[in-house]
Amino acid sequence: MILNVTFWAFSALAVFSGWRVFRADSMVRAAYWLLVSFAAVGVILVLLKAEFLGLILILMMGGEMTIMAVFMVAFMMNPAGLNPMTMVHRNSVAIVAGVVSFLAIAALGVFARFPVARAPVGIDPTRRLGVELLGDSMLVFQTAGVTLLAAMIAAVAISSARGRFGAGDEGSVEPDQLVPDTGAAPERVAGMQPGGPDGPRDPSPMAAGGHT
Amino acid sequence: MNALGVVIAVVSVAFVAAAGVYVTAWIDLVLAQAVAGLEVRPLDALIAPLRWAAATALKARTTTERPDAEAWALAPALLAALAAVGLAAVPLAPGLLAADVANGIVLFGAAMALVVVAVFLQGWSPNSPLPMIGGYRFIAQGLSYEIPLAVVLIAAALPARSLAIAPIVTSQEHLWNVVRQPLGLPLYLMAGLGLAFWGPLALPEGQDLAGGSSLETSGASLLLWRAAQLLVLVAVAAMGTAVFLGGWLGPLLPGAAWMILKTLFLLIPLIATRHFVARVPTERYVVVSWAILIPLSLLDVFAAGIQALMAAR
Repeated sequence: MILNVTFWAFSALAVFSGWRVFRADSMVRAAYWLLVSFAAVGVILVLLKAEFLGLILILMMGGEMTIMAVFMVAFMMNPAGLNPMTMVHRNSVAIVAGVVSFLAIAALGVFARFPVARAPVGIDPTRRLGVELLGDSMLVFQTAGVTLLAAMIAAVAISSARGRFGAGDEGSVEPDQLVPDTGAAPERVAGMQPGGPDGPRDPSPMAAGGHT
Repeated sequence: MNALGVVIAVVSVAFVAAAGVYVTAWIDLVLAQAVAGLEVRPLDALIAPLRWAAATALKARTTTERPDAEAWALAPALLAALAAVGLAAVPLAPGLLAADVANGIVLFGAAMALVVVAVFLQGWSPNSPLPMIGGYRFIAQGLSYEIPLAVVLIAAALPARSLAIAPIVTSQEHLWNVVRQPLGLPLYLMAGLGLAFWGPLALPEGQDLAGGSSLETSGASLLLWRAAQLLVLVAVAAMGTAVFLGGWLGPLLPGAAWMILKTLFLLIPLIATRHFVARVPTERYVVVSWAILIPLSLLDVFAAGIQALMAAR
């Protein structure tokens, strides 16, 4: 009884908050509505006896949605995510894509023949999961993991205010590229050249700080 | 799952939580009197938190221009609920715990991971500059303490070969984890201070932000927020006791008494940092955490893994 009520309550919450993601008017709110949706799915996983998966989903999503909100705020022209903005774009394409994918998933749910074999009593799902992750599927998961890690490091490097040559708000220019300050114009042009410190230098007077 | 059991569990967690918060506030006041060179009056310090709570609860709640009212109202309740879930995962004595799950340490980690959300929402939703800076600061802080926290907890679970808390406690019957994994407890306590944004790591609510993320909060919300913060400290100390100090294990006294004594043993130094250690600048904390604390926590888990492999042999 309690189990059923819990299941339906959290299913409804997952769907409702998923809908709210697109009705929210701010990136931060949208991210946290998505978190609510994921957390509700996590609770359903716990009810399905996949306790570890459910809890780890909530654990990961708490940090992940926060980081997503920060990156969205950092990359978009919306100071601190405080300004209202719409979460839906290109509505006609989105409607078609939404209807098609809903029908596809619904068809899968209705027509697919799901296995009816009952799981043996007394298995430890966490242990099974660990054996799977570090056994047969190890290569897949390790490859995906390292790829994701590389992407995360790259994203942090791009958004970091601190570059190789100092803080971004102080110019972050290589030491030998600093032009003596004449008080006329910013002298960071040369440091912004493509090709890095050993790459080709643009000899044009603009790049060398033409104001001299 | 029966309804009566759920009610009993919720009520007992609420009772333990309230007692823990009250004791923490009392210890904090006594320490403040001692540090200020005042005459220490433990009995007056017993009344003072209640007086503050009553006065704060009776004050009107102020508001700001166009806040996110729902998120603002949610933040203190969310923080209190998360801390209570963390506390519920800790067994007071063998078989005596509210959230008897097979993955207790993951439950604690999941609750503590969501603390970032509560503090960020508390700072972001009033639509006010200083609280907002506090909220964003806490994200940087959260990303810095969360990894050491999770890694040292995993290391502590390794010798028990279980993610449930009770086997982790009983695995320390011969040697506590604080000895077996000397890096674990110091790293855990440092991460715990960051989690409770307390003392040297009260960065989202620093005086340089005039109170930061809770600057605009008042009335019953502020009361709940302060209580929830103390409850996070209590949950950190209680879980640290179970995982590193052998929980209920000890001679003569009953298990619950050992659990409470050891929790106080961790709680008092945690509270005292507020009076003895200066607040750390955010950037320095983030750099130290990523460059020193995270590598040390990885060292801790590698050492624990090797020990576990040797023991299995």
